[in-house]
Amino acid sequence: MEFVIEQGKQPHHECSTLLLPALSIGNVGQLAMDLLVSSMKAERIGYLDDPFVLPCVGNDAYGPIPCGDLALPLEAYQSSSSRLTLLQQRSPVVKGRMVEFANNLANFAAASGKKHVVLLSSLDFGKWQKIDMSSGLQIHYLSSVNPDGRDDHCEQLGWKRLQEYNPAQRCWKYLSTLAEGNTMLESNLPFEDELEDEDYYPSLPFAALFSCLKAKGLKVTCLLCYCSEGDNIQDAFQLAEAACRLLGINSSTFPGNGSGGWVIPFSWQTVYGPPPDMSIF
Amino acid sequence: MEDVITEIPPPSRFFQEDLNNFITPSPSLPSPFLVFSNPKPKKPLHPSLLIIALSSPSLYIFQHFSPKTLIGSLILPEVPFSGISIEPSLTDKTCNIYSLNDGDKSILLVSVQHGVSAERSHLVARLLIGEDIVPERLLILDSIQSQNFRGKLSPDETYAFKLETLAERKGLGGGNVASSLLKGLDYFPSGSMIDGLAAALLSRCQLKNIKGTLCVSWPEFGSSVAGLIRSLLQRNVLPNLDSSLKGDVQDQYPRFNLMKHQPYDTEMYT
Repeated sequence: MEFVIEQGKQPHHECSTLLLPALSIGNVGQLAMDLLVSSMKAERIGYLDDPFVLPCVGNDAYGPIPCGDLALPLEAYQSSSSRLTLLQQRSPVVKGRMVEFANNLANFAAASGKKHVVLLSSLDFGKWQKIDMSSGLQIHYLSSVNPDGRDDHCEQLGWKRLQEYNPAQRCWKYLSTLAEGNTMLESNLPFEDELEDEDYYPSLPFAALFSCLKAKGLKVTCLLCYCSEGDNIQDAFQLAEAACRLLGINSSTFPGNGSGGWVIPFSWQTVYGPPPDMSIF
Repeated sequence: MEDVITEIPPPSRFFQEDLNNFITPSPSLPSPFLVFSNPKPKKPLHPSLLIIALSSPSLYIFQHFSPKTLIGSLILPEVPFSGISIEPSLTDKTCNIYSLNDGDKSILLVSVQHGVSAERSHLVARLLIGEDIVPERLLILDSIQSQNFRGKLSPDETYAFKLETLAERKGLGGGNVASSLLKGLDYFPSGSMIDGLAAALLSRCQLKNIKGTLCVSWPEFGSSVAGLIRSLLQRNVLPNLDSSLKGDVQDQYPRFNLMKHQPYDTEMYT
């Protein structure tokens, strides 16, 4: 993975917290990143070039009026006021190469001096086994601070540790082994044909990123929300707000006209396709 | 029978395999490579303009462009050679590299006449740009992918949009700041994306700080869009285009369209 700095831009080393999405149901992590980049008016500082990310290009996603600024699959932004580096990923990873991609990203994060990495992702509501609606649809988290995934700061914020995380479970152990470089990446999961319900969580992209970043000695916090596939804009707001709370960023200071000061990205006008053809009526 | 409502995810949604760390990757393939004809040109080649034709109308136009000299080919090992004719033909599954004669400019053309999978696009883009071929400027001609377009695409209307690298937009590397290659063409609307080889090529230019333009047109086939592309090229890129095209290009396009997009698999008949 190569980091290419944009012409005339300079990464600031004090931006030592890295915020990035993990691909997930409803694209919630990516939508949340769009919201954060747009609302913080984060400045793009460069691109990441990785052979395991499928290619895509587009016009500027944020506006206010897109003027042809090219958008690439993996972009790095910076918000000096929040001491934050933000990555946005716009396209999927090559089939079967997620762990390699996660390893590359972890190497980049470690080499560029990041101290804390926050992953934003979502989980399939249909896979939720131990449903607890007593506190509504809340944020779940997973942290590298303790071996069981617990973090006191996240507990104080009222979030629930991902109970299904079990580092001794076979798939989580397999990911750790791969992340530590103790197994050839080409070798298949020894029990690929027998994946069960408990294998769902470690099979997700956030788990690969969590394991690889943790193996590099970085502090990692995953913020997760349960959702179904559909209009996931509200899920994105929930996750973005959680990220701000975790990092002590006051979202009400954002300059947007939207509720809470959030700036809706220009590209969201057509995020779910064009409006219906009214001429048929 | 597949459930058409739920089985295939709509654009921008993920397939199950996209979200599975443990899915088996596709078998690895031998790397693609470039071959050049004798005498081998001095590498790296430094054309003032590299044109990459991906869309049906652009392939057709350049097939009739003369004179041009076949100087090499990009070989993708997974694409079979069966059925390829001795003389380059539009129906061949080839990726030939030509040198075009247009005044004193050195122009190379790559006619990509077979599909390149998204997974191979990164490698192919690296091969075509920045190693054996280092262009001053790149022009890619592709079609709008309706599944990735978030606006309305009427089958009765013809459109063309562009995307440019920063170097192209700012006129970096010398030359007139206002010398954008495809002047007057609207930018591709925000919210829609282009993927595949065209995206990989333009991304590579952005990362290498090379002036690059991607022009996408709609519809994918048809005389009207071929006419639009021809007019864009004549006006902005190849002023001598009309005099360089052999034969009655416009009238023969519908027949080419029919041949190229027949419903049966021609591989069975080689």
